[in-house]
Amino acid sequence: MAAGTKKTGTARKILAGLALLFILLGLYFGLIKAPPDANQGEVQRIMYLHIPSILIAYLAFFIVFVGSCLYLWKGERRDDILAHSAAEVGVLFTALTIIEGSIWGKPTWGVWWTWDARLTLTALLLLIFVGYLMLRSLIEDQNRSAVCGAVLGIIGSLDIPLIHMSVYWWRTLHQPPSILRPDKAPWDNIHPDMLWALGINFLAFSFLFFYLLSLRFRVGEAEEELKRLKLYGTT
Amino acid sequence: MGVVVRQLAKAYGYLWALKEVNLEFSDGDCVALLGPNGAGKTTLLKLLSALLYPTTGEIKIDGERLRRGNSDLRAVIGFLSPDGQIYETLTAKENLHFFVSLCGKKIDPRELDQVLDQVGLGDWSDTYASSLSHGMKCRLAIAKWSLLQPKILLLDEPYGVLDGTGINLLENYLKGLCEKGGIVVMATHNVARILSFCTRALILQGGKIIFDEPRQEPWESFHRSFAAFLPRDNR
Amino acid sequence: MTILRQIYWLLWKDILLEIRRRETLLSMFFFGTVLLFLFHFSFEIPPERIAEMAPGLLWLAFVFTGTLALTQLFHVEMESQCLEALLLCPMDRGAFYLSKVLFNFLLMVLVELVVFPLFGILFNIDFWRHLPALFSIVFLGTIGFCALGTLFSALTLRAHAKELLLPLILFPLIIPAILGTIRGMEIILGARDLQELFPWVHLLIAFDVIFLTVGFLIFEWVIEA
Repeated sequence: MAAGTKKTGTARKILAGLALLFILLGLYFGLIKAPPDANQGEVQRIMYLHIPSILIAYLAFFIVFVGSCLYLWKGERRDDILAHSAAEVGVLFTALTIIEGSIWGKPTWGVWWTWDARLTLTALLLLIFVGYLMLRSLIEDQNRSAVCGAVLGIIGSLDIPLIHMSVYWWRTLHQPPSILRPDKAPWDNIHPDMLWALGINFLAFSFLFFYLLSLRFRVGEAEEELKRLKLYGTT
Repeated sequence: MGVVVRQLAKAYGYLWALKEVNLEFSDGDCVALLGPNGAGKTTLLKLLSALLYPTTGEIKIDGERLRRGNSDLRAVIGFLSPDGQIYETLTAKENLHFFVSLCGKKIDPRELDQVLDQVGLGDWSDTYASSLSHGMKCRLAIAKWSLLQPKILLLDEPYGVLDGTGINLLENYLKGLCEKGGIVVMATHNVARILSFCTRALILQGGKIIFDEPRQEPWESFHRSFAAFLPRDNR
Repeated sequence: MTILRQIYWLLWKDILLEIRRRETLLSMFFFGTVLLFLFHFSFEIPPERIAEMAPGLLWLAFVFTGTLALTQLFHVEMESQCLEALLLCPMDRGAFYLSKVLFNFLLMVLVELVVFPLFGILFNIDFWRHLPALFSIVFLGTIGFCALGTLFSALTLRAHAKELLLPLILFPLIIPAILGTIRGMEIILGARDLQELFPWVHLLIAFDVIFLTVGFLIFEWVIEA
């Protein structure tokens, strides 16, 4: 299997181009075109990055789930490489989400971090991704690492809805005595330009995610091909 | 009972332990598996017993493929490893009782005593397995497999730990097994010993089969015909 | 049923070996107790707030003690290639999984039965009349912990730094069981409306059922010689 044909190379270039275009558009819409928020002012603009990045992080984990299931079912190395790549890029977007949330939090709440449901869940997602990557790297045998990674990917994906429920219930069924209620999103009147900014940035992040995923996938395929050459070269 | 091995290969990392092995075993075969250290004998035995899964190729037992999920097929396969596979803190009798019961056979404690007597461990039935010598552990393994009655028995160099009586015991058991239509594959360096009763000789070298012939009389000339394939010290 | 019979014999073997070797249970008892002392020295809890903090501290103590047991769970099999011996048998891998879950559950329950009252005595908490309800919730949480923990113990069997890796992958994923148990215990101890308890109990039951089932089905891939 020749990894990286001309077609996929062109597709990647198109993705990169689209990502760049939409990032620039998104910056324009987010920073200039969309009006400042009535309550929060300029600092609200970071939501145009924050919301897309968490959605992409969840998408990444979904791809880990799909790749893991396919790998256990069919045993094709490509599915395993897909899952591993999605996890790596997913870590990036999850970390970005947390940083963006923190940057928004400081002027808004006065603190860099608070244990509200959303932030806590994002941090947990990051830990799960990191656990997955650590498991993969600490198991020496490649095949074993792939199988164990796939099992953890499936278990993690099944657990995420349960973690969601439990953390949200924890924060809502049992209200902490606090004046700060960061869960309340103060978006009373959503200006159409704000929606545009959100939508365009979401597309930008999607293209960026798929571009990075395809790059990482390419690296994975190339590594696999190298291994195959080394292996069959000694016959 | 037929065992068919097609294009079997196993790689550990970048090293091939077995390359494109094709074999067929049929009822009554008593196979001597010979070859220098590192030839792949243990790997082949472990693949045949489904303790390992192949990198490529397949093994079929009576037409059914050996793979994950059909652990019922393990009921007909036995693997005698001379250096262990028993629980150190259980007595000889308890070890037998446990493994036999786990495999679904109902057994009378008196029958256990009988079998232990037959292998010469009658006085040691209530001793912890940790107190047994290597040779005694091997005899215990023989007792276990004689109770479980596998159709295919794989042995990995048992002659090293057994004394004269033990060796006779083992050989009588193996001959009995083959007479009843079972298949025996024994990896060993003790060429002279096994040639006295085997029906076929297989030589592995560098992961490949370089000799595979049924035994012919007189066995001295048979021995000479493949002595050249073996390293000087193993002839 | 074959699977039940296999679970019986595997459990028999594990219990017999534990009685003879006494490696895990005693260490767990003492570790649990030591943790209680550690908590006492670390947290200056005013007496009126003890009942609030008790569930969290107790359940943390059980989780840490349980993790200790998990790293040892397959220890007997790793000696003398007994894992190979087991895998050679026509044994359902799911039965092997369930027997280990049950064994770990048994160990943890025995520790909980001792540490619970000890906690009550050391920290002067009156939870004797709530004991059955408390134990029920704790057992539900323990099942979930054992279900996931056994799976991960087998996954990390041959990984480097497995004693560190196991908690790293286990703890984030066990959050529903932790939250469910602690909140449930708080509701019971605070003598609050039992209606509040139901969502958490349902969550724990769902967690246990899902992961016991997944573990049972997936163990074939997890355990290897």
